[in-house]
Amino acid sequence: MKHFPKLIALAISASAPMLTFAGQWEGPLNGIVTNVVKQGYESYSKSSKTLQQNTKALCASPSKETLHDAQDAFQTNALDWQQVQWLNFGPVTYFMRYYAFEYWPDKKGVTQRQLRALAQGDPAVMDAPKFWTSASIAVRGLTAIESLLYHPDFEPIQSAEHCRLLEKVTAHHLESADAVAKQWQNGTAQDWVFDEEGTGFDPEKVALELFLQQWIEHMSAVKDAKLETPIGYNSRENLKLAEFYRSDLSLRAIQKNLQSYREIYHAGSPSLYEIAKQKNPELAEQFEVQLTQNIKLALQLPSDFFHANHTQEERIALAKPLVKSISNSQSYLASMVTQLGFQIGFNSRDGD
Amino acid sequence: MLSRRSFLAMSGAVITAPSWATLTQQDAGKKLYASAYSLNKQEHFFGLFDEKGDIAWNVQLLDRAHAPVVHPSQSIVGIVARRPGFFIDFFNVSTHQRITRIEPIKEHHFYGHALFTTDGKHLITQENHYPSGQGKIFVRDWPSGQVIQSFNSNGIGPHESVLLNDQVLVIANGGLMTHPDEDRKILNLDTMKPNVTYLNLKDGSILNQSANSDDLHQLSIRHLDVNQQGIVALGFQYQGEMWDQVPLVALSRLDQLELEYLPIPEEVRVRFKQYCGSVCFDSSGEILAISTPRGGLVAYWHVSSKTFLGVENCRDVCGLVATDNAHEFLLTSGIGSQLKSNPVQNVSKELKKHTTLHWDNHLRQINT
Repeated sequence: MKHFPKLIALAISASAPMLTFAGQWEGPLNGIVTNVVKQGYESYSKSSKTLQQNTKALCASPSKETLHDAQDAFQTNALDWQQVQWLNFGPVTYFMRYYAFEYWPDKKGVTQRQLRALAQGDPAVMDAPKFWTSASIAVRGLTAIESLLYHPDFEPIQSAEHCRLLEKVTAHHLESADAVAKQWQNGTAQDWVFDEEGTGFDPEKVALELFLQQWIEHMSAVKDAKLETPIGYNSRENLKLAEFYRSDLSLRAIQKNLQSYREIYHAGSPSLYEIAKQKNPELAEQFEVQLTQNIKLALQLPSDFFHANHTQEERIALAKPLVKSISNSQSYLASMVTQLGFQIGFNSRDGD
Repeated sequence: MLSRRSFLAMSGAVITAPSWATLTQQDAGKKLYASAYSLNKQEHFFGLFDEKGDIAWNVQLLDRAHAPVVHPSQSIVGIVARRPGFFIDFFNVSTHQRITRIEPIKEHHFYGHALFTTDGKHLITQENHYPSGQGKIFVRDWPSGQVIQSFNSNGIGPHESVLLNDQVLVIANGGLMTHPDEDRKILNLDTMKPNVTYLNLKDGSILNQSANSDDLHQLSIRHLDVNQQGIVALGFQYQGEMWDQVPLVALSRLDQLELEYLPIPEEVRVRFKQYCGSVCFDSSGEILAISTPRGGLVAYWHVSSKTFLGVENCRDVCGLVATDNAHEFLLTSGIGSQLKSNPVQNVSKELKKHTTLHWDNHLRQINT
């Protein structure tokens, strides 16, 4: 009941135009940070630790079983990443961590090329104090780990060099995930917005505005890059462009993303959903229904959706309801954000 | 083609447009600034505002526009349609009357920018001959808009150009091949090769041309400005991956073949998100400002020492002009802010915040 007065304030203002007041956005911002971001990175950090331990066990005792354990740990970790992937903001922006966690899409096979070079070189290089701060983002995170665990060029069971490389990458990956989780535990979103000259600067509103912009952009990425592009929805099919296709996580990653969207919407007290309901109940509800529909439609897709055993036409037909649903969600979210008084990128999203 | 009657009517309207000095004589020294702005996705305007940030003049537009064009002597302003643009509308500020609309010739479109020659007798437009993708520079008679000289821009996508002097035009050939049938879709991402070209306006010859190295071929050279010393500053927009570490700002000169990249602290460079908006020297020519709406900041350099000076944070900022005061700039943003910023004295002051409007990409000062 800590936020009871704010809910009362919202109820009182329901029939009046929405006026800005200090602290207005504290509820959803703190809720998203606590329930989605902090918890998300905590899980991500923990599963990075398991991944690091399992790869260590794999290299100590290479076998199909230990490889399988490492692959399982990778899958959990990559799906934990999907919970927080929508937010390129705050600690993850340091040292290009966001792009290092997942170097995707790697259209030119940069990761494999650089991993091969590293595997053939002197492993001591990777122990140098500043190696990872200057290393290519292509070899620093999940994309590299997926290659080492699943790409036929790499044989962590047979090759000690490959396994050593895998150990080094997972150790660095854990360090990064852990650092981001700790920074979030010790800080706030407001720490990461830049103070501006002028009256009425509200760091909470600015931080939330950046969150919302990231959410809108991520929703586009899920629809376009993760779903439409690999299946050739508007052009040529190339299933290898699907996210984490080697580990068969492409569909589950989308499902996880869509689940995180509802969590964002409902996090905090009051949540964005509750605030939006005061402003425009119909729109708030439409968006809510659409977010739920997204989850259902993604779960209805066959688990082999991204496998080669469907024709392009079949895949497009299967995807169509979800594509439309996400597209509707984008429209509702954009309208809602505008109606709540946020200004999302007039120049930054549509310049020349 | 204009009829004789409409030509005479238009010429009459131009002749009757008073000079800027006459227009502002009751308020000598008054400064005006021109920019397009929007209220929402449907309502678009072109406006002039004063030093207090108050809108002094405006007209409604049918669509969102890009950069203003200011006649050097008469109180006439124009606004260029966004790329792919098919009109430039000119207005007599004293009457609000639209004097003329200049359209590209067949199979061409504008890029969002244009400029007058210093004597105000000619209008220079950058255009795309879209069947071939070839960039073109047209020198047009003012006010008829008739093309009197046509040059190859010596590149693809001549987005903005500035006059180095009366004879030399510096062109930012952005390198992006597009076709209006496909809006802004880039058709040559793998082969694009932007350049900056110094064009002799007498004969269309190339006086100098510089480009990025082959590995930076996706670094589109999009906006530029020139200072009193003939130093040209270039702002880039990178079409490659967000994570690539590429330079975003460079200097160029007529007598220098290579581009000279300016230093940016990495934590600031990352905030640019590979995108420079406007490029502007201050009135002394000593300080360079580059806006990045994606990064929500304007970055400053001391030009002769190539020293990075710092940033002014301003969300969705893009419009940028020098004021008459050395080292001082006026900034406008998509969230309605108008801000004066002096990076040498480390001072900034909000003029006004129009919370209901969005200032568009480019801002121009009117020298009255």
